Amino acid sequence: MTPSRIAFATILAKDLRAELRTLQSLPAMALFATTTFVIFRFGLDRTSLSGSLASGVLWATLLFAALLGVNRLFVSEREEGGFDAIRLAPIDRSALFAAKATALFVYLMVLELVVVPIFALFFLGSAAALLPLALVLLLANLGIAATGTLISSMAVHSRARDLLGPLVLLPLVVPLMIAATGASEPLLALGGPGYHRFGTWLAVLSLYDLIFLLVGYAVFDFLLED
Amino acid sequence: MYGKGLRPLSIATVVAILAALSLVFFYAPLDADQGFIQKIFYLHVPLAITALIGFVIGGVFAIFHLRSGNRKWDAYSYVAIHMSVIFGVAVLITGSIWAKASWGHWWVWDEPTLVSFLIVFLMYATYYPFRYAIEDPERQGRYASVFAVTAGAFVPLNFMAVRMAQSLVHPRTFGTANGGLPGEMMFTFLVCLAAVALLWVTLVKLELTAKSTSGQLKRLRRALDAPAPGAGASRIAPEVS
Amino acid sequence: MIVLLSATPALPLDEAGKYVAGAYIVFLALIVIYVAIMASKLQRMEKELRELAGFAEHRAQGDQAAPGRGSEGQSISDSLALTGAEEAASDE
Repeated sequence: MTPSRIAFATILAKDLRAELRTLQSLPAMALFATTTFVIFRFGLDRTSLSGSLASGVLWATLLFAALLGVNRLFVSEREEGGFDAIRLAPIDRSALFAAKATALFVYLMVLELVVVPIFALFFLGSAAALLPLALVLLLANLGIAATGTLISSMAVHSRARDLLGPLVLLPLVVPLMIAATGASEPLLALGGPGYHRFGTWLAVLSLYDLIFLLVGYAVFDFLLED
Repeated sequence: MYGKGLRPLSIATVVAILAALSLVFFYAPLDADQGFIQKIFYLHVPLAITALIGFVIGGVFAIFHLRSGNRKWDAYSYVAIHMSVIFGVAVLITGSIWAKASWGHWWVWDEPTLVSFLIVFLMYATYYPFRYAIEDPERQGRYASVFAVTAGAFVPLNFMAVRMAQSLVHPRTFGTANGGLPGEMMFTFLVCLAAVALLWVTLVKLELTAKSTSGQLKRLRRALDAPAPGAGASRIAPEVS
Repeated sequence: MIVLLSATPALPLDEAGKYVAGAYIVFLALIVIYVAIMASKLQRMEKELRELAGFAEHRAQGDQAAPGRGSEGQSISDSLALTGAEEAASDE
C-alpha cells in the first residue's frame, strides 16, 4: 500500500474507532432526527405522510441531522494537532479529505439505517419504498459527505464555526436536495412507489457527487498549507 | 497601476449605456405578448448574465490565486465576486418587479432561472460572513479562493437542477422573448449586454483602484513611521498594493 | 406599431410604464449609491493623505534647515495641498 493509502486507512479507522468508543455524534444525530419527526407530526398536524410532504420532511430532517455531524467532523483534528500531523507527513494531503469524507459517509449511512425505518414507522403506510429509497440515500450521502467535509475543514478554523458550516453548506446542497426530493417524491406516493424520472434524478445526484468529490480532492491540498 | 485606463473605460461605458437606453426606448419594437413590460428584460437579463459571468471570473481568479500564491489574484477574485453580488441584488429586484408586472406577485417560483439565481445569490452572499470569520489574512484569502472555486462549480449544477424541478411546462415569457427574437430586439439586447458588461468591468477597476490607493496610503504611512489611523481597517476586503 | 400596441399587453400601458420605470430607477439608484460610497472612501483617503503630507513635511522641516522649493509655478493640486496644510496647522 502506498503511504497515502495507509494514511487514509489509519485516519478512517481512528475516526470510526473514536466514534464507536465515545459515541458523541451518532446518537445525537439519531435522536435529533427522531424528535424532529415528532415536531413535524405536530407542526403539520399529520399522522401519515406521502408524496412531496413525506419527501420534504424526510430530507429536511436528514439534512439538519447531517449538519450536526458535519460540525463535529474536524474538531478533534483541530484540537489535537491532526492537521499538523498531516502537513508533516510525506503523503498526499488529500488522503485526509478522503478519510474524513468516508467517515462522514459512514456516519450518514448508519444514521439513516436507524432513522429511516423510524420515519417509515411514524408516517408511511408500507415499507415498499425503502429499498429504492436506499439507493437515493446512498448517492445523496456521497454528496453531503464531499461538500460537508470540504466546508467543515474550513469552518473549523474560523470563529463561530458552528454557525459558519451550516451557513455555507446549506445553499451548496440545494441542487442535491432538489434531486433527492425529486427522486423520493414519487417513491413515497400514496399508491405505491413510482419511478417518474427516477433515472434522471439519480444521474443528477451522481453528477453532483462526482463534481464535488473531484473539487474537494483537488483543492484540499491548498487548504492545508500553512 | 490600477487606475490606468480607467478614464477611457468609463467614457466607453457612458457611451454604451446611453446608446443602450436610446435603443431600448426609441428603437426596439414593442413585444407582442408582454407589451411595454418586456422593456425590463433589456435591463434584467444583461445584469443576470453579467453577474453570473462575474462569479465565474471570480472563480477563475481564485484558481490563479491558489496556484500562484500571489495575493493580488485574491483581491481580484474578491472584487469580482463583490461586484457580481451587487449586480445580483439588481437582478433580483428587477426580476421581482417584472414578476409583479407580469403575474401580479412580487415573487413567483415558476420562473426557474430567477429561482436558480436566487439560490446562487444566497450561496455567494455567504462569502462575506465566511471571509469575516477567518482571522488570519493569508488563510482567509486561501479559503475564500476555495469557496469561489466550489461555488463556481455549483452554479451550473444549480441551474440544471432547478430547471429540472419544474414539473409543469410553464409557458415562460422569458423563453418566448428569447427564442426567436426579431433582429431589432436582438441588436438592442446585445448593446445592452455590452453596456452592462462594460459597467461591470469599469466598476471592478474602480474598486481595485480605490483599494490600491488605500494600500499605497498604508505603505506611505509605514514608510513615514506615522502613527496608525483611528478608524479600523476592513477585516474582510483583501488589501491591494 | 399600432397593431402591436392594440395587442394585449400584460398590464395597461400606463401602469406597465410605472413598472419599467421602477426597474430602471432601481438600476440608477444602485449606481448612484455606489458612487456615494466611493465618494466617502475618497474623502477618507484625502483626509489621510493630507495628514500624512503634513507629517512628512513636519519631519522634513525637523531634518533640514528649511525645505528648499524651487521657483516652479504651483499647480492647482499644490495650491489645494498648501491651503489644506495651512488650514490643518491653524486647526491645531
